[in-house]
Amino acid sequence: MRTLVLCLMMMLVSAGSRGTVRIVTTLEDLGDFARKIGGDRVTVDYIVRGDQNPHFIEIKPSYMMKLRSADIFLMIGMELELWAPQIIDGSRNPKLDVVDLSKNIVKLDVPASIDASQGDVHRFGNPHYWLDPRNVSVMVEEIVVSLAKASPADEEYFRSNALAFVHELEKKIAEWEALMKPFAGRRIITFHRSWTYFTSWLGIEVAGYVEPKPGIQPTPGHTAALIDLAKKGGIKAIVVEPFYDGTAAERIAESTGARVVRLASSVGGNSQATDYISMMDYDIATLSEALR
Amino acid sequence: MNQTRYRQLLLPVSLLVFLVPFHIMNGQTTLNPDISILPRFLAQTNDAEPGNDGSQKFSQVDFSFDELEIVAGSYLNPYARADVVVAISGPDLENPELSLEEAYATIMRGLPLDLNIKFGKYRIEFGKLNTVHPHAWSFVTQPLSQQRFLGEEGLNDLAVSLSVLLPTGDIYSRLNVDILRGSSFGGTIGIEDTTDANPAYGASSRLMGFFTTGDNSDLEVGISGLTGIHDPYNSRRFWYLNGDLKFKYRPSTYTSLLLQGEFLYNMRNASQDQDFNQFGVVKSVNSYGFFVFLDYQFLKSYSIGMRYDMSGTPYSSTDRLHAGSVYLGFYPVEETLAFRLQYQHTRSPEPGESQGVNFFGLQAMFSLGPHKAHPF
Repeated sequence: MRTLVLCLMMMLVSAGSRGTVRIVTTLEDLGDFARKIGGDRVTVDYIVRGDQNPHFIEIKPSYMMKLRSADIFLMIGMELELWAPQIIDGSRNPKLDVVDLSKNIVKLDVPASIDASQGDVHRFGNPHYWLDPRNVSVMVEEIVVSLAKASPADEEYFRSNALAFVHELEKKIAEWEALMKPFAGRRIITFHRSWTYFTSWLGIEVAGYVEPKPGIQPTPGHTAALIDLAKKGGIKAIVVEPFYDGTAAERIAESTGARVVRLASSVGGNSQATDYISMMDYDIATLSEALR
Repeated sequence: MNQTRYRQLLLPVSLLVFLVPFHIMNGQTTLNPDISILPRFLAQTNDAEPGNDGSQKFSQVDFSFDELEIVAGSYLNPYARADVVVAISGPDLENPELSLEEAYATIMRGLPLDLNIKFGKYRIEFGKLNTVHPHAWSFVTQPLSQQRFLGEEGLNDLAVSLSVLLPTGDIYSRLNVDILRGSSFGGTIGIEDTTDANPAYGASSRLMGFFTTGDNSDLEVGISGLTGIHDPYNSRRFWYLNGDLKFKYRPSTYTSLLLQGEFLYNMRNASQDQDFNQFGVVKSVNSYGFFVFLDYQFLKSYSIGMRYDMSGTPYSSTDRLHAGSVYLGFYPVEETLAFRLQYQHTRSPEPGESQGVNFFGLQAMFSLGPHKAHPF
């Protein structure tokens, strides 16, 4: 009997000292960062798969369950995840630390004023900032701070992992920039304004968008205008996210000789994009091939 | 329009005049509530009324104002939020009816056991569809069982609700218990209370579970109960039992398949005179109704669906209506505009004969203001 009690006590002590921080993220990309930083001292889950449109997520009770037992909820912010407040409220988790990673990001496309005639414009600016890898170190710092708050004893461990990840990323950034340098100044068409940070980083110009306005479906007239633009501007690539309908982009490509390039806008967006670095490897290789 | 109507319209108009421009000018929502305005219009025709020669002919298409909802909601403080829905109902544009559809506060944080408490006037969580406003339905007409057993406005009452998440591991399950003032039991559900007696409170409850059945599919099932006094003169009680099911398969951003339905069972004792003018004789009524619909979104802007309804009434198990519907939804620019076309055939099997009524309805609506994400 005494042995049994001792065993139970040991199990309870070991369970208590494991100190795993439970993290849930909106995007898979953020889950990848959290895993790299938290290592074996965190568990990570996410809401939006890479092949789903992060703007439109149905409020499911299963998402609330994910947050119910979480310590930290990492978000892109800037109203990309307009659905998040309902999931947070539904989780009924008063201890949840909600972390908006956009706090210290230099924001692009911040509108002076907005109304619905401009389409689905985000009032705090374009929220697709994670697609500029130089912003990742800013996000990583925010994640380290939140993890250290949740588990102060592990702060050094988290910082060391974060530093290693940022170093690895910096090497890759130099590699990606070298690969794309010959294409600086080239013009492309993108479906949505997801690639503003990405193209701005690489010095590529976005000549037009398949959507007439953000979030608004392509119209025949707008598609015809883009065909004209692509012919005159020597456009070689039309970038489309995995979850958008490619019909209008294909029509432009057929009429102009440009290529429709399906890039992963998030980790999990295709089978090659298994983490952030492999996603960027894929996107850079695919785009450079199309622009060649 | 008479003076009373002007006074009735003062509240929503004031809301629009003050809150909407201020809201837009400031471009922020920290202090001002999110406000949406959703008007619905309906063009309809049916062949319910026989023509002069006795044959069934379609009526002239009637294009009318159906309803306008003004929805405002926001956090009150770190612990609670509040939501208000004011409805202006047609079809009479000269004398529209103004009603407070919902006004409630929900305390979401700071309570023991992570309880949520809601109080005010609201659509009671009895079944799944009752909490959904008509503008968010896939179809134009209200399912017959909801109309006959809950009323045209659904089960909507002054109430207090207690909601708790149950400790069922990774499965989301929730229990709601509502105490209702019983004001909504008059009319369709029961007899209008013209006595000066104290209100006869009712109670409702729903237990639901949510199951992830695959990478792209989910299932919600629920069971609800409702009881209250339907006959205030004889203190007679009624009992409703309701089962609901919703299954959704969404293989891609633009396609989804939804199967949803509810079954309601009614038990009550009622005076015979309500049906047969036999005052004093009490009969036991056990009746039921159900609806089931299948909705298929095949493109970003289009969906088609079909629905089957069958319903008795709260006071009769033999007065049954059957209806079959097909409908098409068109949502051209996100959800700011919506058009729904529905054909419904309703049959009323009278003893010895069977009468059918055909209905065509085209609903047009627009939505002004922010759009909240859709709950499952």
